[in-house]
Amino acid sequence: MLLAGLLCYGGFTGLCLSMDRHHAELLGRKASIAERRWFKWAGWLLLGMSLWAAVSVAGWAFGLVQWCAVLMLSALLLVMLMPYRRRMALSLAALSLLASPIAAYAVL
Amino acid sequence: MKEGFRQAMAWLHTWAGLIFGWLLFAIFLTGTLAYFKDEISHWMQPEIPARSVPTETSLTLAQQYLEQRAANASRWIIDLPGAREPALSVRWQSAPAKPGERGQFTEKRLDPLSGAEVQGRDTQGGEFFYRFHFQLQMPYPWGRWLSTIAAMVMFVALISGIITHKKIFKDFFTFRPRKGQRSWLDGHNAVGVLVLPFHLMITYSSLVIFMTMVMPASILAAYKGDVQAFFSDVFPAANTAKVAGTPEPLLPLAPLLEKAREHWAGGSAGQVTVNNPGDTNASVVLTHNGTDRVVHEFGRAVTFSGVTGQLLAKTPEQSVPMAVAGSFYGLHMGRFADPVLRWLYFICGLASTAMIGTGLVIWLGKRQLKHAKSGVLPFELKLVEVLNIASMSGLVIAVAAFFWANRVLPVDMAERAQWEINSFFIAWGLSLLHAAWRRGRGAWVEQLALAALLFASVPLLNAVTTLHHLGNSLATGDWAMAGFDLACLGSGLFLGWAAWKMQRAGQPEITGRNRQRSIPLEQEAH
Repeated sequence: MLLAGLLCYGGFTGLCLSMDRHHAELLGRKASIAERRWFKWAGWLLLGMSLWAAVSVAGWAFGLVQWCAVLMLSALLLVMLMPYRRRMALSLAALSLLASPIAAYAVL
Repeated sequence: MKEGFRQAMAWLHTWAGLIFGWLLFAIFLTGTLAYFKDEISHWMQPEIPARSVPTETSLTLAQQYLEQRAANASRWIIDLPGAREPALSVRWQSAPAKPGERGQFTEKRLDPLSGAEVQGRDTQGGEFFYRFHFQLQMPYPWGRWLSTIAAMVMFVALISGIITHKKIFKDFFTFRPRKGQRSWLDGHNAVGVLVLPFHLMITYSSLVIFMTMVMPASILAAYKGDVQAFFSDVFPAANTAKVAGTPEPLLPLAPLLEKAREHWAGGSAGQVTVNNPGDTNASVVLTHNGTDRVVHEFGRAVTFSGVTGQLLAKTPEQSVPMAVAGSFYGLHMGRFADPVLRWLYFICGLASTAMIGTGLVIWLGKRQLKHAKSGVLPFELKLVEVLNIASMSGLVIAVAAFFWANRVLPVDMAERAQWEINSFFIAWGLSLLHAAWRRGRGAWVEQLALAALLFASVPLLNAVTTLHHLGNSLATGDWAMAGFDLACLGSGLFLGWAAWKMQRAGQPEITGRNRQRSIPLEQEAH
């Protein structure tokens, strides 16, 4: 569930950065179309990987339930962090992407 | 046409949400607490020791106890201790005086390590929240009816809410705090959208659980009006053989646990029922504890002969429609959830509660703005304000009062469990009076502050009245006890923060940064 959660948080941050307003708000500059497209793809890819991670660790029944739980709450965490702790929201995403290969190595 | 439809949906969302919002807030908050009902019960009965003992040992002890005390009973029911429920509970039904009558039940709780009787204080524990969230402390079947109707309205409010807030996906990541009414709406939308799968699941599954009440027509049609036949199909009762009258010693029960495990792909028995113990026709029913899978299966069990140990019966594989209903039931209850997932369930439940609460605040805030200049609220808005305060902060105070009553009331008091519940409702009633008397921001701040104080001091209260203070429970690894104390402390801090925010937002703006912002809704409350 940890791996799925890390990937979900990273994925949502990617999707968030693919939106004009949030990109400017988080990184302080306007995003080019290519950048936005790249973030969008990366975000969706990470979310897809998190589903795969959850199901391959815990099976379909538990995996789907756990994935839904981390999907909802990682997005909630991101949205609640952004206005108050912008830097922390971003560094948490970087940290979760760095930590996910280690988590993957531990469980897969 | 399309705008007209959306406006109609907005109207529906607004009014359905208001009329049932107060009730739904209470249902969702107590239902969320029910995810930890075993842990709450454990805290509320500190006399019952938390031990981890192999199930086989507990079952052997229970059998010894029952053979000494209840050898002539017609049935024994043994509830085995699990990961969350530390108690070993035995019940027995005395043989009925006349055939056809139901024998009396006696219940005792045993220490799973020594087999000695333990007496916990008289309390409903976490079961109170679980029962309240669908029975609403009303006589059967009115509470169930009302909560089912509330669930239906919740479903309507969710669907109409999705249609009303059309920019859901464009505003997916949007939350702008410190902007008054705008922030409340952002919060309402964010919590609504981000946790939408949970809202839909929990609401729809509650309708599935009460489907026999919600949609009796299809059952009446398929079973030609014979509702009892439907229930016997859904819950096939184990056919128990009659007493033969020839005594025969009962097998040791503990090895049957392993035999039952072989029949199930995973998990183990949570309950053991022995029919006609000590008779040739003794049968042993091992019921699955249902914590190893998401899809709930009602009455999944294997039956062995109590004399030969032969397999007598096994519940058939679940049919697809039963599995669908069972998966909704299983998802709603979350019995399969390990501690981490259980906490996530709990947070999701709080998010649903917060969505309802913010919705109620927004309803009032919008209408208060119109009366901002005169500063006088019409009666109906005053009423909504009072009900908002009592249904939210008042309920939180009532929950705290319930926990306090558990520790403060004398242990040997008559009708103790009932008085704990009375304390809950008395505290709730008083908060309603207080809200009507004080009104507005003052009432919010005072009630939140009181709730904060009551919750934050729970660990202290526990330390003063029992030996299970945090130092002790953390050292012995009693996580349910320690977790309860810490969760109360956390809630107290959060409520204190909320009270402080509420107080501060009510003061006139001083700083330059804040002067620019639009007038927040709360200021007009006075």
